[in-house]
Amino acid sequence: MTDSQRRLSILDLVMLPVGMIMFAPFYLIIINTFKTEREAISSPLSLPKEWNFDTYIHIFEQTSIVRSFGNSLILTVCSVLLMVLIGAMAAYPIVFNPNKLNRLLMFYLLAGFMIPFQTTLIPLFQLMTSLQLVNKLYGLILLYLGGAVFVFFLILGYMRTIPKELSEAAIIDGCSIGGIFWRIILPLLKPITVTSAIFQTMWIWNDFLAPLLFLSSRSNSTLVLEIYKAKGEFTVNWPMFMTMTVLTLIPIFIFFILMQKQIVKGIVGGAVKG
Amino acid sequence: MAKFLRHVQYELFLLPILIVYSLFTIYPLIRSFVLSLTNFNGYSLDYDFVGFRNYIQLFSDDAIVSGISFTLLFALGTTFLITVLAIPLALLLDRPFLTKNLHRAIFFFPSIPSGLLLAFIWGFILSPVQSGVLNSILHDTLHIGPFPWLSDPVLAKLSTILVATWAATGWHAILYLAFLQSIPKDYYEAASIDGANRWQITRHITLPLLAPAMTVSVMLLLTGGLKVFEVPFALTNGGPGFETHSITQVIVLRGITETQFGFASAMSVVFFLIVMTIAVIQVTVMQKREERIQ
Repeated sequence: MTDSQRRLSILDLVMLPVGMIMFAPFYLIIINTFKTEREAISSPLSLPKEWNFDTYIHIFEQTSIVRSFGNSLILTVCSVLLMVLIGAMAAYPIVFNPNKLNRLLMFYLLAGFMIPFQTTLIPLFQLMTSLQLVNKLYGLILLYLGGAVFVFFLILGYMRTIPKELSEAAIIDGCSIGGIFWRIILPLLKPITVTSAIFQTMWIWNDFLAPLLFLSSRSNSTLVLEIYKAKGEFTVNWPMFMTMTVLTLIPIFIFFILMQKQIVKGIVGGAVKG
Repeated sequence: MAKFLRHVQYELFLLPILIVYSLFTIYPLIRSFVLSLTNFNGYSLDYDFVGFRNYIQLFSDDAIVSGISFTLLFALGTTFLITVLAIPLALLLDRPFLTKNLHRAIFFFPSIPSGLLLAFIWGFILSPVQSGVLNSILHDTLHIGPFPWLSDPVLAKLSTILVATWAATGWHAILYLAFLQSIPKDYYEAASIDGANRWQITRHITLPLLAPAMTVSVMLLLTGGLKVFEVPFALTNGGPGFETHSITQVIVLRGITETQFGFASAMSVVFFLIVMTIAVIQVTVMQKREERIQ
């Protein structure tokens, strides 16, 4: 049998209903965004009698969804770029300049890998308050950078496969230590930096607890936080809330479609090697 | 001298991560241990060392006792259900069929959005009123209900575990799928030449070779399950009472909402020890199992 079967098989017929049930929650919220409030409550399962886009227009006009989308984007992009960069930087001396001190520092960093964020929550809350980093996007970015140890861990293994001769030859040619990293090592790390960036993007884009605690004002809200706040406001208005959810899911869905292969590769690479 | 300068240049690359990691992970971790021995309430600076009093007090706090028991139930329940479902799912998704790629995507997608979002979506479906989606389906087809999916202690726990299972099974199936595809084809050919049937091949070749995948998957599920916050928080808000409170939610409640910093820190330390102990035991036991099977 080949992968490119042209006809429906028994397995298709078994899996289709299961797949439909798996996907049903998403289907449900999508169809309900086109209904009026009353219709959504009275007949949540059926297709809308009339497709109306009022709630979509209303969301864009009345809520700050665009701004919170921007906040999420800034937060995620800045955190992920910096995290990948400092993670890759940290792996460089460990691999290309091995000595006792670096070995020690490597274990120091790897220890953090197992520390649950929640264990450090209370002192972190105090620390962020005393450094006046609460309710500032850059404060949260700094906090997330602690997560660079995960990137460091992923990149470390990958960097070890780069032949040492490459950097030795560059040193002989008069290239500086920094120059080697920026011009030779960093470009070679592309596959693993893409994988780590995807994992960190999913974490930060979806994170709820840290923004809840460290971003109090509405103007700094992230998308996930905005959904949380909307839930409280629209308790009675399900179509409003669901439209917000659907709008939030659209970027996630696009990300999923574009990155599916990379995410799977990441899971595979991380699991098989780790 | 030149050699020394080169060392310094290299070390500079470690500086940024050492600063952020020490400041935002190691320092707060140590401080958690210190605070857990005090009665610090976040305001007055003349707090005292109270020894292990906070730790003793933990066991007389209803929220914490049910927080720990629900979190353990959640972690074990989701780990068990997801493992039992993900392995057969991976075996199915490994077989050739027309809609294979579509189904891989359908099962995988729920692990991409935030847990908070997914739990809210399910909150709509599991709404306990007569017109709640699931209740109205059950009423129309089987004429039963309505069931208090999120407000009855037992049903609320069950709903939380099932929603998390729905969300994560596909992700773990992909993990198993990756290991399945790395099994050399010769094994299967050799076995079928020896006259083994499909079930025998699965039982004696495929499943034993999945043991390393299981170690990884179960480790991720257990540690992730112990750290759970979003799903119970968004689905039941920890209720009814403290029935579906997670340890994390208790830490936030006692520590940040009520500013009992010392007490919540003791909770954090206990949490840390639980996660570490369970992870170490699980990985050791399962690695021994891998050796035995193979």
